[in-house]
Amino acid sequence: MKAWINGIGYVSAGGFGVGLGTDLSAGSKILQPGDVEIPQRKEIFSGPDRRYGRLDQFSRLGLAALTFCLRDAKQEEYTQKRAIGIVTASRYGCLHTDLDYLDTMLPAGGKFASPNLFAYTLPNSFLGEAALRFGLSGTTLVLNRADRSGLAALSYALEELTWSGECVGICAGVSDLPPVLELKDPSASYGSVFFLLQKAPSTHGTTYGTLELEDGQLRCNATNVATLSDVLQSCASQNIH
Amino acid sequence: MYGVAITACATVTALGDGVDALWNGLLQGRSGIAPLTRFECENYISSYGACIEGVEPAQTPEQNSALDTILERVALQLEQLPADTRLLVASTKGEIDCLSAARRHAAALPQQVLFEPLLTKISHRFGVADSGWNINAACASSTLALARAAAMIAHGNAEVVLVYAADLLSEFVFSGFSALQALSPEPCRPFDQQRRGLTLGEAGVAIVLMRAARARSLGRPVLGYVRGWGAANDAHHVTAPARDGNGLIKACSQALAQAGITAAQVAGINAHGTGTIYNDAMELTAFNTLFGTQIPPLHGIKGSIGHCLGAAGAVEVAVGCRALQEQLIPPTVGCADAEEEALGQVMAEAQQLSGTYLLSCNSGFGGINGALILQRGES
Repeated sequence: MKAWINGIGYVSAGGFGVGLGTDLSAGSKILQPGDVEIPQRKEIFSGPDRRYGRLDQFSRLGLAALTFCLRDAKQEEYTQKRAIGIVTASRYGCLHTDLDYLDTMLPAGGKFASPNLFAYTLPNSFLGEAALRFGLSGTTLVLNRADRSGLAALSYALEELTWSGECVGICAGVSDLPPVLELKDPSASYGSVFFLLQKAPSTHGTTYGTLELEDGQLRCNATNVATLSDVLQSCASQNIH
Repeated sequence: MYGVAITACATVTALGDGVDALWNGLLQGRSGIAPLTRFECENYISSYGACIEGVEPAQTPEQNSALDTILERVALQLEQLPADTRLLVASTKGEIDCLSAARRHAAALPQQVLFEPLLTKISHRFGVADSGWNINAACASSTLALARAAAMIAHGNAEVVLVYAADLLSEFVFSGFSALQALSPEPCRPFDQQRRGLTLGEAGVAIVLMRAARARSLGRPVLGYVRGWGAANDAHHVTAPARDGNGLIKACSQALAQAGITAAQVAGINAHGTGTIYNDAMELTAFNTLFGTQIPPLHGIKGSIGHCLGAAGAVEVAVGCRALQEQLIPPTVGCADAEEEALGQVMAEAQQLSGTYLLSCNSGFGGINGALILQRGES
């Protein structure tokens, strides 16, 4: 199983942006423990964007990283919907949004439960937000579980891409806000990183090389990788064109 | 590609424990929907739900989740699984009762609010070494989990996969759908002209998928086969379906192509049929596009057991296997006056099927749609 990495976007304790122009060789600096600053609307979109302002923090985090990923791949704009999916691994999902929603629901027996917050109490809601913005009509789902490697979504996406005849690409990555204190893992890194995996190298944007899966082992540019940092560092070693 | 057999189904719903209880209840046109006593409904637009008898959500941080009770009752229905069984879980909100109880009492959040403890519990209870993943795709969660399981087996990545799906009828979700004005003030009426919204339910379901040759060698019954699967996003709206049904059409078309059959070979449809105005209209539009004037008999079971969220698709697959075996689809409870596009296809009585294949599909928040083609089993 093999795919090309045609775009990278990230929002993390190490900052935010697109792969091109970022020092990816310092992959571990991008994915470092610490607080995550979610970019403001004007730092992502050039024009007014009311929808972004209405989103919960988890959705903003993921949507920002996805936007950067597609921008890096020069595939942000579209005229026809594209069979590109999104697969996200998330341990905590929309836990903060759940708590915010409960704070509107609990005090008065549900009388003031917020419909807007409720719409984002599913961790896949932001995938729908991204799908409608960018015309992505492939499969969209979230995988929940602790995953130190951060690679689960990449493996899942590679298999989907290989097994699906229609799918031309999948944005795969991780997305997690730092959780509430009692659930926090001090050594874990939080944030969102997405890779656009496609069946062929990009003809109009960046290509960071190949990602392969064989016997459960992921290899990026023919080198075994065990973490997302490894993938980023391997991408840095490629001649970007 | 390897054949994918369904060798066991176990269900716990408002119609009782086991597929027999569910099937018989559906055939008799029974409904598990009743006035809710689980929480106060005075501030909500509905007071109806389809609760499982004997299931009580946690009210305090010290109590265990009601999902534990459901898990136990589902597990009792299954035989020992092979040691190499892989696990996929489908739940939208997991142990949401524990999260709500902790917040209500301003207590520290327990680990149970995450999915790992739930996955561990499920794998231990079924004696499966793989702790798997939870697949979260709103109301299409278990449909996508079943599709993934089928793909894993078909492509040789696994020989046996247990798909376990469960979601609770919680005040958290009930209040949210009420705030969105999506609940029906009366028991839901899928595909009825006077439908007014959905009714929530809850369920626990286990479906065992196995490489067909392995099932035969182990002498396991083949309740059905998963022949095709598909998934697509509407790319239209976060909470509302695309009116033209484009995502559902894509998902169903993929499933038909994967199965290598034409729409004309589909003998029946188990629709999502939530009872909301827009979902049911969208589905009928999609089916009209896919089947033209030859829409096969179709039905929905949410008028009997409510909308079971992430578990909805898995319950419907259990029912779909039985429908193909019996060559019969149950009545659509609540549908007294079918939409014009569904006239003659959706009935308040059971309908005869004549054929080998059934389409089962679901759609959910985030614009996701999933579709499965089931083939009649051998038992």
